[in-house]
Amino acid sequence: MKKDWKQKVDRWLAGDLDVMAHITDGAEVRDVPRQERKENARAAQERVLETAGAKRVISAERKGFYTMYNVIAVISCITLIGVLLFTVANLPRYGEENPRTVEVVSRYVEKGLEETGAVNIVSGMILDYRAFDTLGESHVLFTALLCVMILLRRDKKNEAMAPAGARALGTDAYYNIAKDPIMRTVGAFLLPSIFLYGIYILLNGQNSPGGGFSGGAVMGAGLIIFASAYGFGTVDRFFTERASRIITFVSLAFYSFAKGYVFFTGANGLDNHIPKGTPGAILSGGMILPLDIAVGMVVACTMYGFYSLFKRGSIGHD
Amino acid sequence: MTGEWIRFGIVAFFLILSLVCFTAEVIGVYRFGFVMNRMHAAGIGDSLGLFSVLFAMTVASGLELQSLKFLLIAVFMWFSSPASTHFLGQVEYFTNPSLYLRAERIPDPGENEAEKAEEEDR
Repeated sequence: MKKDWKQKVDRWLAGDLDVMAHITDGAEVRDVPRQERKENARAAQERVLETAGAKRVISAERKGFYTMYNVIAVISCITLIGVLLFTVANLPRYGEENPRTVEVVSRYVEKGLEETGAVNIVSGMILDYRAFDTLGESHVLFTALLCVMILLRRDKKNEAMAPAGARALGTDAYYNIAKDPIMRTVGAFLLPSIFLYGIYILLNGQNSPGGGFSGGAVMGAGLIIFASAYGFGTVDRFFTERASRIITFVSLAFYSFAKGYVFFTGANGLDNHIPKGTPGAILSGGMILPLDIAVGMVVACTMYGFYSLFKRGSIGHD
Repeated sequence: MTGEWIRFGIVAFFLILSLVCFTAEVIGVYRFGFVMNRMHAAGIGDSLGLFSVLFAMTVASGLELQSLKFLLIAVFMWFSSPASTHFLGQVEYFTNPSLYLRAERIPDPGENEAEKAEEEDR
């Protein structure tokens, strides 16, 4: 018995024995060209369809599948609704005394203006009390831009992989919107107001609803309209990939230096020595305004980068 | 008192008009199958529906900065909505090869080729 086993091991070491032979599929798979394989599969399917009663079985199966599909969909919807309703039913009533939630909220509402200098309490929360959370969010945006760049960037290496006819008639890449006089006229009227509005939202984040994310989104949309109205070449004169990289890096690095330490102090920010200014003025709120600008720059670069990468496969040539 | 009632009447009329427009828009966008028909349905709400609801709000709020903002929104939307509709239509026109089946004014490319071939034969 023991000798037998030893013999087996010797044979396995020599490569004569495949111990996994009984579980691996030993059937020989020939390397058929893809087109031929497809045709074979289609022929096999047709042959199956020709046999008696095949169509009946298939339609019954299909019917059963759709019935099951509907039943499962309804059941899962009802389960989800039930879970959500149960959760909502267990929430504390609106305005009810609840020490767990009221403690934090009342601190924010009562002392927010005094401690952060921001009239808009939401801004005070996301960029002062919980600035580390927003730090992560802006890095998520940057990571998303990197992923899109990995997938869609076109350069010399992958240029040959483009499917034939990708730029031909019948695709939307063929229709160049920038040649349209209507787009130019509309852009000339709308762009100044859009950029002005974006800057207003960005700089006024501590005083009114708005801030980095919404202002940056408006400015990114303005950049996209600019690119589609006057062509990518016009945007490339002032906003290339290098500029985008520098702006994003400087903003994220500034944010990380300013607020990165709160990860180690348990979200307790150090004392702020930047004067908070008079509440309601543009230059108020201490660190909130620079952080807002940093977030807005990242968001604008990311939005324009998405559009540019999806449309032509690069953010702009240097 | 009479002035208030007249204002209420104007506001109610325009609100109901906008409601009718938006209902038509929603039904059209969901029931039509073709892009151009859907765009037409969407245009009803985007132009007349939006304007009437904003006009009703302007009348209701009286002469204030707020009403000016409402009118500004209307002007902005009337600038941007037709432009975007135009580009949607252009892209559909350029990318849909079977558009002639839907639109009467667009000739069948196949027919043209057949006619050309006949002319060449002659």
